Amino acid sequence: MLDPIVHADLAAILPASAFLTAEEDTRPYECDALTMFRELPAAVALPDTESQVAAILARCHAARVPVVARGAGTGLSGGALPHHDGVLLSLAKFRRIVVIDPLTRTAVVQPGVRNAMITEAVAPHGLYYAPDPSSQIACTIGGNVAENSGGVHCLKYGLTVHNVRRVRGVLTSGEIVEFGGDALDGPGYDLLALIHGSEGMLAVITEITVKLTPKPQAAQVALAAFDDVTKAGNAVAAVIGAGIVPAGLEMMDQAATRAVEEFVQAGYPLDAKAVLLVEADGTPEEVAADMADIRTVLADAGATQIRVSKDEAQRLLYWSGRKAAFPAVGRLTPDYCCMDGTIPRKALADVLQRIEELSRKHGLRCANVFHAGDGNLHPLIFFDANVEGETERAAAFGAAIGELCIEVGGTITGEHGVGVEKLAQMCVQFRPAELECFLGIKAVFDPHGLLNPGKGVPTLHRCAEFGKMFVHHGRLPHPEIPRF
Amino acid sequence: MNAHTELRHARPDARSVADVVSRLCADFGERASTARAARDAHSHGEGMADAALPDVVVFPQTTEEVAAIVRLAHAARVPVIPFGVGTSLEGHVAALYGGVSIDLSRMNRIIEVNAEDLDCRVEAGLTREALNAGLKGSGLFFPIDPGADATIGGMASTRASGTNAVRYGTMRENVLGLTVVTADGRIIHTGGRARKSSAGYDLTRLFVGAEGTLGVITEVQLRLYGVPEAISAAVCQFADLEGAVNTVISAMQQGIPVARIELLDAMQMRACINYSKLEGFIEAPTLFFEFHGSAAGVAEQAEAMQAITAEFGGSAFEWATRPEDRTRLWKARHAAYYASMALAPGKQGFATDACVPISRLADCILETRADIDATGLVASIVGHVGDGNFHVVLFDPDDPAEREKAEGFTQRTSLRAIAMGGTCTGEHGVGVHKLAALVAEHGEAVDVMRAIKRALDPHDIMNPGKTVPM
Repeated sequence: MLDPIVHADLAAILPASAFLTAEEDTRPYECDALTMFRELPAAVALPDTESQVAAILARCHAARVPVVARGAGTGLSGGALPHHDGVLLSLAKFRRIVVIDPLTRTAVVQPGVRNAMITEAVAPHGLYYAPDPSSQIACTIGGNVAENSGGVHCLKYGLTVHNVRRVRGVLTSGEIVEFGGDALDGPGYDLLALIHGSEGMLAVITEITVKLTPKPQAAQVALAAFDDVTKAGNAVAAVIGAGIVPAGLEMMDQAATRAVEEFVQAGYPLDAKAVLLVEADGTPEEVAADMADIRTVLADAGATQIRVSKDEAQRLLYWSGRKAAFPAVGRLTPDYCCMDGTIPRKALADVLQRIEELSRKHGLRCANVFHAGDGNLHPLIFFDANVEGETERAAAFGAAIGELCIEVGGTITGEHGVGVEKLAQMCVQFRPAELECFLGIKAVFDPHGLLNPGKGVPTLHRCAEFGKMFVHHGRLPHPEIPRF
Repeated sequence: MNAHTELRHARPDARSVADVVSRLCADFGERASTARAARDAHSHGEGMADAALPDVVVFPQTTEEVAAIVRLAHAARVPVIPFGVGTSLEGHVAALYGGVSIDLSRMNRIIEVNAEDLDCRVEAGLTREALNAGLKGSGLFFPIDPGADATIGGMASTRASGTNAVRYGTMRENVLGLTVVTADGRIIHTGGRARKSSAGYDLTRLFVGAEGTLGVITEVQLRLYGVPEAISAAVCQFADLEGAVNTVISAMQQGIPVARIELLDAMQMRACINYSKLEGFIEAPTLFFEFHGSAAGVAEQAEAMQAITAEFGGSAFEWATRPEDRTRLWKARHAAYYASMALAPGKQGFATDACVPISRLADCILETRADIDATGLVASIVGHVGDGNFHVVLFDPDDPAEREKAEGFTQRTSLRAIAMGGTCTGEHGVGVHKLAALVAEHGEAVDVMRAIKRALDPHDIMNPGKTVPM
């Protein structure tokens, strides 16, 4: 419940249809794509101008009311989970593509523009927006910046942070700021990078200048089958180690390919233990040269079968399976959760082996489908929330995968963000001095902790509590933290 | 030479400094020096003369030693200035308020090379040429090439780019992780071996480009690249500057993945022909190209490029496919700064560092050239124009009237770039010379930068007086 005066003030900023407080109106906003966590916000605000956003933030700031920004709600880590006493600030009405400038190859867009819409809008100029999260038909560019999203093609073309020139946003005080600029590089601290992946905890984004990429003249994908997951993992490292930079390098294990084949019939070999998709793009000559190298490396790595797409239709068919992996798995299990650990590529084969062991240990099935070229794993853990104890087992299995990724020198999240889901693993990945840096930066932007509270960065207190709960082998993590 | 912001920061009190100096001399023995020669050598980079002496120079060998130095300085509130090899052009290493210069040149090991992951971890004092020498035989290389043989730590701190940023990006894209000693002397690790991470705020990129004002970088995890199968370089000369610049714009718009494009104006070519004994070229606006890729890819890129140069009145390509010819060519480009200085012997040179969106490049360069000619200054234009970045090399004249002209010109160049949606520093960093321009460019965002500086370095001991006006 909002304080009645704050309520009245906020209601005065927006038309009645854009300020929702009745439960039947706020219910659709109770969670994002991490449906395990649900919370009703005190109110939902749907502004459509930057000055409305600034006014809402300033009013909430004065009254110390939490604000959670939301794009399309496709986030996988609970970053847009509402706050019970706060305002859920939806940017869904910021849907305008403001300027397309083919000369500088940039576009200015509002944060509620869907990722795929940018590519559609600029296609007549022979350009596209390169980062392509699998949810690109639904997810918004503002959410992509907040999570620093990746996608299949970020191996070659970079993450969101590499494809954005400028971000305009509103601070918790209501002040408007701009980070980055139209030139390639600017002076001073890299606030543009800082805002990427900040999960709505530093500022609310209102406008973004994205970089556009010329559409490659040609693209081909190779589909390679392996009779052993370890061989496939080693093949990934071999492709990269050979100095080839594929446009995409994806891997699926047998559990994933079987789920997909039933769903979309992409023509994947069902007897293979793992399938790799390796794409090359560029001019026809470059693609031909890269494909020849890719074939050689894959064959040397022990592929039992290699098929190269003959035309665009076949290329899209091969990709359709990968893109449909999540819904396909969704048909096989009542519930699943998607992990997001990222590891050095060299460790791929080893980590896959150990995930299989963990799967047996926790008694839950797991399908692997992921951005292998980046070493970004997406193990999908199958479980049934209606079976007593399975949700907890799935969470424990997920946490074990996260910690395994940290152990081999990786990170708990490559592209989905920490949100509420991975707060506890943050305490494992980072030491107090590092967490204090994060908290210091948070305090600079948001001294009262009003923007998306309880997400992204755990307090040292919380890590200490977490440490109490998970004492492994008599070893206490972070003995240097003050205990209570 | 720009109007420096007021010296807000008072010098630390003499007794604290004396205490820190004597402790460091005791702890580090001959690896700490208060000799005038050592302090002189650590009082300036290669930019304009604005030397400021540190009180002591220390040569640590490990991250732990750096942390111990910073803890000592932190307790006494004495400034700490990280020093690589002193190739900075913007006064980054001058000890404006005295204090401890931490010379990282003895931390020059390659810690590990992971060929399968295309990355490596090095100590901050390793120079880029030493890194590439160490990578010889591995089939890998580190492409970022700012000209000078700077240290990796210095390049990370200034977010350096260089002649091949069009293809390989800048330090922003190529630093995967860091070990940093914070202002209170703690050791933190940012980023890591993973190719991407969305865990926590992006501290790696915050420290990259922070110019030592938030912490001391002691180790750097870098992205490496496979040595391209084929490399070829070519030179093309133009009747006018406009033709050369329009060629670049057209190439960028067509997305030709040229590894390097460098523009040298007629004055710069004269300097390079004289200084580097380049034969077979005339004093005319010139583009240097380099193409990387498969043999077929390189041939294709070159063909596309030739079609564009012909359209804008460029000469036939002069090819350099043998490695030694290529080296000679790029040596000449890298020596451009020294070559220009040779045009005016005995004078101090300095370079501006403007960067504009590619669509405004022609306007900006042509207006800048006209501005130089109108002032009557001797100055040349040279730059990595593929990413919109160019430099004007000028001289620091003895004549006060002329000096004023030069200062006015430099100011106009920064403001012109900013007015065109660009920046006053594409790659050299802010240092002390561009503090005023930073405010012009960033407005409110400077407040945020200042607050970050205060949060991470509350006593303002990390390279004080640089990067962000406090």
